[in-house]
Amino acid sequence: MTQMKLISAWFGGGLLLAGAVGILESGAADVFLEATRPDFQKIPVGVVGIHNAGGPDWLGGRIEEVLKKDVKRSLVFDLVDLPSMGIQTPDIGDGMGATSKAVFRQAAEKGVSVLVWGKAGLKGADKEADVNMEGFVYDSGSDELVGGKRYVGSTSVVRLMAHRFADELVFRYTGEPGIARTKIAYVAEQGAARELFVMDYDGHDTRQLTADGFLNLMPQWSPDRRFLIFTAYRNRNTQDIDMIELATGKRWTVISLGGLNITPSLSPDGNFLAFASSHEGNSELYRLDTRTKVIQRLTVNPSGDLSPSWSPNGRELVFVSDRGGGPQLFLMGSDGSNVRRLTFEGDYNAAPVWSPRGNWIAYVCRTHKEYKLCVISPDGQKRMQLTTGPGVDDSPSWSPDGRHLVFSSTSDGKSQIYMIDADGKGIERLTFQGTHNSAPAWSPAS
Amino acid sequence: MNKTIYVYGSALVMSMALIGMPGCSKKSVQSGGDSQSTQGMAKGETDGSRSGVGNYPDTSVQSSGGGLRGLDKNPSEERVGSGTMLAKVDPSGSAGRQADEIRAEQAASAAAGLRDVFFGYDSWTISEDGRQALTRDAEWMKSNPIVQIKVEGHCDERGTAAYNLVLGEKRAKAARNYLVELGVNANRLSVVSYGKERPSCNEHAESCYQQNRRGHLVVKTGK
Repeated sequence: MTQMKLISAWFGGGLLLAGAVGILESGAADVFLEATRPDFQKIPVGVVGIHNAGGPDWLGGRIEEVLKKDVKRSLVFDLVDLPSMGIQTPDIGDGMGATSKAVFRQAAEKGVSVLVWGKAGLKGADKEADVNMEGFVYDSGSDELVGGKRYVGSTSVVRLMAHRFADELVFRYTGEPGIARTKIAYVAEQGAARELFVMDYDGHDTRQLTADGFLNLMPQWSPDRRFLIFTAYRNRNTQDIDMIELATGKRWTVISLGGLNITPSLSPDGNFLAFASSHEGNSELYRLDTRTKVIQRLTVNPSGDLSPSWSPNGRELVFVSDRGGGPQLFLMGSDGSNVRRLTFEGDYNAAPVWSPRGNWIAYVCRTHKEYKLCVISPDGQKRMQLTTGPGVDDSPSWSPDGRHLVFSSTSDGKSQIYMIDADGKGIERLTFQGTHNSAPAWSPAS
Repeated sequence: MNKTIYVYGSALVMSMALIGMPGCSKKSVQSGGDSQSTQGMAKGETDGSRSGVGNYPDTSVQSSGGGLRGLDKNPSEERVGSGTMLAKVDPSGSAGRQADEIRAEQAASAAAGLRDVFFGYDSWTISEDGRQALTRDAEWMKSNPIVQIKVEGHCDERGTAAYNLVLGEKRAKAARNYLVELGVNANRLSVVSYGKERPSCNEHAESCYQQNRRGHLVVKTGK
């Protein structure tokens, strides 16, 4: 209990600090490093199992598998393997029996702070009957049942039940909503066309959103998760910026100025849309006030300016400009003031995205002729290369908790989508189908 | 086709809304001196399309707590929905229309015998070979004075998708500008960048990259 309060106190404090003091203050940077540094104390969690309580054979196992992966990916917990610690796990689907008590005491002695178990079965004899899933959490610190959840739904939503339960766990111990129910929008090749798709954050449950037979590029989420905003080609001749409503599939054009209109990026409060447009000659940055529809030009120079990304407090933009020759990262106020160069290392730095915690900017850096992921602090003082090896890495996008990035890479040949921890560890491939998957965008937390 | 009508329709509604509101009717973006800026816009568009800004919903509503209700010692039943917050995609006739139009463009361009211009890595400078190719293209255009040409800028797979769109536009404009220098009327030329999104060759090799770094001239057959 104390542990939980402590963690949520400094996570909450970090977010407040980033919002109130401003992202360039050094205090905020320390908070982020705390959350991802190697000696960050993850909470040891053991998943005892999800007992099958009537229903298809795969039911309990499926939920358990999804739950374990979610718990691991949260990076808040350290998923311990109970049998390898010498802790025998009886079938405890019925909850707090005498044998269960013994297991919990054993686990507590070995330093496992939290134990999770549950059961899942069909509510009726009918094959079409709903699934009933119950999950319970036991906290060895207080030696009692913390609480549980009971979910009901069709057999097609058992993954979602596991995701929901995982997010409840994260919420319980950090006060954050978790990322297990987030989604990733991306672009997939369909013949000669590129269409928008959305999948769960773990690569499952893929849905196609557009089918217009040409290029749809670089989707970004609206802060309320209801819309995607992206670049589309009208009659294959001009790039407009379109929006699509996920629930209805309704789609319309937001920006149609003529020329190249690319890299749309919504401010965290949803009130401004920054984008690059070449309608006045070369690619420049503009800002649409989404309430008044007034467009303000932010950059004025003969080079290409593109790829704006907002700081979490909405006050600044990081963007790409080739005003010095090759593409480099620059910072400016969100009104176009106070432009200064951020990157000086290497001759190609592009596709920047500001972390939701404010303390890092992830981008694509060219080293040894390969395009890899790097992060840099907004004050330019700290820089790290996250990926190595051959292949083109592109389009990094942060998870809403700032602990992961999703990106595309050709490291396995064809362009596919991968997830990586913010410290460069734990790469996980998310897409395996199709000839070309690119431009992933991580949704905000629900 | 329905989709197109819808887009224009919403732009029209938008333009009416703008006209009706004195404070908002001011056109905030001045079009620049570049003849290209309006080149790609279809003729006969509504006022709303010309203003260039369509309808915009309020996206600022952010849920708090993420719908999580917390753990409970006696948990009540929570219904988990089907997760279909996503509409089923409507395969309109658009994909088929695009494919037909692309085939028509390709056939007309092949018949014209137009030559592509190729570029170096990270470069948009027209080489001597490129000048020769464009000189031939310019001659063909002068002897076929009604034809409208679209110059497509393409890139190889290296580098970011976004920066390659800008690079592709630089290549297309370099080719367009050289054709204008050679005496082709600028009004007959439009440019579009496809970045690295429509490669002509898909291998991870320099021989392939070379073919993809190109300015590709296409005879416009539709709008």
